[in-house]
Amino acid sequence: MSRKKNKNSIPLDFSEKLVLGLSNTILTIFALVAILPCLNLFSKSVSIGPAVTAGFVYFWPNGFQLETIEYVLAKTSFLTSLKNTLIITVAGTAISMFTTITTAYPLSKPDLSFRKLFTLLYVISMVFFGGIVPAYMVVHTLGILDTYWACILPFAIVQFNMFIVKNYFEGLPSEVMESSAIDGANDLRTLISIVLPMSVPVLATVALLYAVNYWNNYFHAMMYTNSTAMRTMQLYLYDIISNSQAFAENLFTTSYGGTMSVNVTTDGMVASAVGLSIIPIVLAYPFIQRYMVKGITVGSVKG
Amino acid sequence: MTNPIPRKKISLRRTLHNKLVHIARHPLLYLMLIPGLFFLCIYKFWPLYGLQMAFRKYSIYAGSNPMDSIAKSPWVGTKYFVKLFRSAQFSLVLKNTLIINGMKIIILFPVPIITAIMLNEIRSAMYKKVLQTTIYIPYFFSWVMIFGIFYSLLGSYGMLNTLIVKLGGTRIRFFTSTETFRGLLVFTEGWRETGYNAVIYLAAIVGIDTTLYEAAKVDGANKWQQIWHVTIPGILPTVVLMLILKVGHILDTGFEQVLIFYNPAVYDVGDVIQTYVYRLGLGKMDFSQATALGLFNSVVAFVLIVGANTLSHKTLHRSIW
Repeated sequence: MSRKKNKNSIPLDFSEKLVLGLSNTILTIFALVAILPCLNLFSKSVSIGPAVTAGFVYFWPNGFQLETIEYVLAKTSFLTSLKNTLIITVAGTAISMFTTITTAYPLSKPDLSFRKLFTLLYVISMVFFGGIVPAYMVVHTLGILDTYWACILPFAIVQFNMFIVKNYFEGLPSEVMESSAIDGANDLRTLISIVLPMSVPVLATVALLYAVNYWNNYFHAMMYTNSTAMRTMQLYLYDIISNSQAFAENLFTTSYGGTMSVNVTTDGMVASAVGLSIIPIVLAYPFIQRYMVKGITVGSVKG
Repeated sequence: MTNPIPRKKISLRRTLHNKLVHIARHPLLYLMLIPGLFFLCIYKFWPLYGLQMAFRKYSIYAGSNPMDSIAKSPWVGTKYFVKLFRSAQFSLVLKNTLIINGMKIIILFPVPIITAIMLNEIRSAMYKKVLQTTIYIPYFFSWVMIFGIFYSLLGSYGMLNTLIVKLGGTRIRFFTSTETFRGLLVFTEGWRETGYNAVIYLAAIVGIDTTLYEAAKVDGANKWQQIWHVTIPGILPTVVLMLILKVGHILDTGFEQVLIFYNPAVYDVGDVIQTYVYRLGLGKMDFSQATALGLFNSVVAFVLIVGANTLSHKTLHRSIW
């Protein structure tokens, strides 16, 4: 062994080895616990029907078929609910970002008149809730029950997200904004051409927080919509899981492509539907991973 | 030296004047505030006005629209609160809420802390990244998706029950048995949240001054002693803050999870305040009674959250707002 190598890698003592070994083992178990249920689900969605009903699917497909996934896509309202959720997520995130930015920017100005009062309003609404029933009555009164608006507008501004953006704006160097004002730019111009380009990471984080919230929302969609045409992804998934027995009966009364396939089982359908809904999240994950970690640390604790 | 009283008056007037000048010079800033305030008033403050339903015998058709009906419904004082506090269902849902969220805090709170400490010990940067990414991903699944995943895994003919039968046991009905339901809630909560919370603690660990570790090593501290005397004290403020927040939110968390996971077979152990409010209000249309319970929940939650924040502000000089 050369001297140089020895210097760079000091041999580990017993306690270091033990901690390293324990950490590796326990965290590997944790990672398996996180991922194996998902593998089981994906395997179930493409395994042959008899294996699924008998419970003989573990972490690898038992046989292979795509009929269940085809059935879910063609014969259930998966695509309608996907469309609804996409509309709500895209439109909702755009509206929320607009409201969040236009609120956070003025509130980040230390010399804004009545700044404390405005901020206090947002803080109060964060800690005191009207509750489920009054919120429902408001949406009912506005006449937007069973529309996309009912799933979007209650989240037009989430106070917590607004404060993340506001704190970030406050941390930007004020000289840049001042020099822009001296150059004759008004507040809107400064916001658009100076502040926003400097805030891309935090804006991406908050946009993600909003998008995940819209995408995953179950309760509000359930409370505020009732028609099948308005059903969102999460409502559809809940229906298919909790009514899988009713679906089973349907499977026998309606024919699939002329003949009933043994491969389309209720458990397989649940697995396929949930599996399909996981795919967009997995695809967006590199992006989520990049901005979310930063976002949590920005948002969780205010020094 | 001038007399202090007129000076105060002048300065007051001057502040007001300055405020108006600022508004006149930056009209766009104030216009920008409008959309946010508009939504805040409609979706956050208007429901607060609706809370008086708890003190009225609310009839949804009393007025021209549901919010108008509130003012048209007769006052009944605290009738619904008296009825509520006397009902057996109230103590049941309060007890369940405290037990379920208490179990979650006691069992789950240390897990992400230990996870973060262990993640920090992993030497290979790539393997560390793989572990972190994998443990973190369930946080982005909705509760319905997690319900689907575990239903598929733990259902009567799911993989776990197949294994149990193979090993000579009998099938367990995880979702409909009163013995397993709370455990299921705690486990799935841990499954979803561990990675997310670990990231928060990991950020705190990374912030610890590395010279402290070197000093400890020079003093002959082994790895355990370094973790015990450097890492843990270093992240203690974050730990305490998180614990205070968790306790502050003990009444108002976990609602959606329960709503999705529970079923009539496990109401005795799983029904929590918010799910009961929901069934009472939007299921049975007993709007006033549901609002009364919701208001009770909001008031206690408010006291707990503000108390928790004050406590963390006083002890740690950190707060959430």
